[in-house]
Amino acid sequence: MTALPSRVQLAPGYILHSRPYRDTSRILEVLTRDAGRLTLFARGVRGPKAKLAAEMQPFRRLLLSWSGRGEAPQLTAAESAPDHVDLAPAYLMSGFYLNELLLKLTHRHDPVPAVFDLYHGTLEALKAGAPLEPTLRVFEKRLLDALGYGVALDADARTGASIDANAYYHFRPEQGVVAAAEDAPGALSGASLIALANETLSGGRALEDARRLLQAALAHCLEGRELNTRAVARAIARMEPSRARGTARGSRPPAMPGAGSEGVVRRITEGGASHNSGSRS
Amino acid sequence: MKHSPQLARLIDALRALPGVGPKTAQRMAFHLLQEGRAGARALADALNASLDTVGRCRRCRMLTEGELCQICLSPQRDASLLCVVESPADVVAVEQSGSFRGYYFVLMGHLSPLDGIGPDQLGVRELEAILAEGQVRELILATNPTVEGEATAHFLGELAIKRGIRASRIAHGVPVGGELEYVDGGTLAHAFSGRQSFG
Repeated sequence: MTALPSRVQLAPGYILHSRPYRDTSRILEVLTRDAGRLTLFARGVRGPKAKLAAEMQPFRRLLLSWSGRGEAPQLTAAESAPDHVDLAPAYLMSGFYLNELLLKLTHRHDPVPAVFDLYHGTLEALKAGAPLEPTLRVFEKRLLDALGYGVALDADARTGASIDANAYYHFRPEQGVVAAAEDAPGALSGASLIALANETLSGGRALEDARRLLQAALAHCLEGRELNTRAVARAIARMEPSRARGTARGSRPPAMPGAGSEGVVRRITEGGASHNSGSRS
Repeated sequence: MKHSPQLARLIDALRALPGVGPKTAQRMAFHLLQEGRAGARALADALNASLDTVGRCRRCRMLTEGELCQICLSPQRDASLLCVVESPADVVAVEQSGSFRGYYFVLMGHLSPLDGIGPDQLGVRELEAILAEGQVRELILATNPTVEGEATAHFLGELAIKRGIRASRIAHGVPVGGELEYVDGGTLAHAFSGRQSFG
């Protein structure tokens, strides 16, 4: 842990999460470009005389100033970028998912500017209406790379041979991708791996393979911790009357937690939401 | 100075109130035990009775001591309108505005996916049951204009639309008596995108 300066002015950052504290304050968990992830104590940002209430929202690019050392320095100022755009309501659940990944996979006071730039770029793309699923997959892949858990997608980890677009592979955490039979359960197509490596994901098979590979790689990094956003997305999916219920209640093999509802969960936390309209009229 | 055990217990208990720190709690305790003894007795009785009897309305989840709250019991309201709010205080606020004559549904919170707060914690099943009765024509989403409130409104709006029920979101804009100069950019942007034609 590096010694922190006691006063920081106008550092680019995002609020990942916050919780109310006492009557008028909040404890913020922020991601900044140069100071990494840290906890800030924000006084007087709630209640009838609240200042900065609009700035205290996630997904907004802010310039944050704070002072003080120790566990939770005090927020002294926060400014929104002037050309601020909101994340569309249909993308909010995905935004929460990104935030939870960052909260669970990054360390406090360990700045990785590449992670901040990746998060910023991903939010900007989503705000501009980029397709959800490929954008999230590329975020997951690059996040793993930036944190040093990147998956080598260029060669078979066992033989060293280049990935063959017509062959099939398995993903093994800590090892990489290894050749598998085409009909092996969970086999990933070589073409999908190449598409993921080149970040040119399109089409159902490539997206589905990328999703499964990255989910396994993330699960390995999360060391058994559940993602709350995924559990909530699953609960939301169960509320959807028609097709969601069939998928969610159909088969649920106990070996893979939540496997039965995966298809519907994906639509919300991991992409595939096709509706772009807000509930505003 | 150290307080006697019972007094210390009272002071500590008073700190359960919002905005009450140790100093205020001590002032309150001394007041209640000196000149305010009659009021203190009434307060204690009221607290006890409320804790024993006040629960949630079976229909809208508003705080009430009956099975159903006063609003849900009232036949004079417009059953085609259902307004979703986050907290009981929001019901009171909307009621005081006198602008709404339908029924309410209180979520007792908002979606907070990172904290694991989802539809099950917000009583969305109960809300669905009300929508399934078929009387509601419009679901008014009056959750707070925060990111979480927006996510909640979006989710509930989709749920209503799937049932063929109209969903609307309350407008956000410039406060009455306010000055544009002091309104934050986000609010102003909403005020512009939600502008209404004149006449």
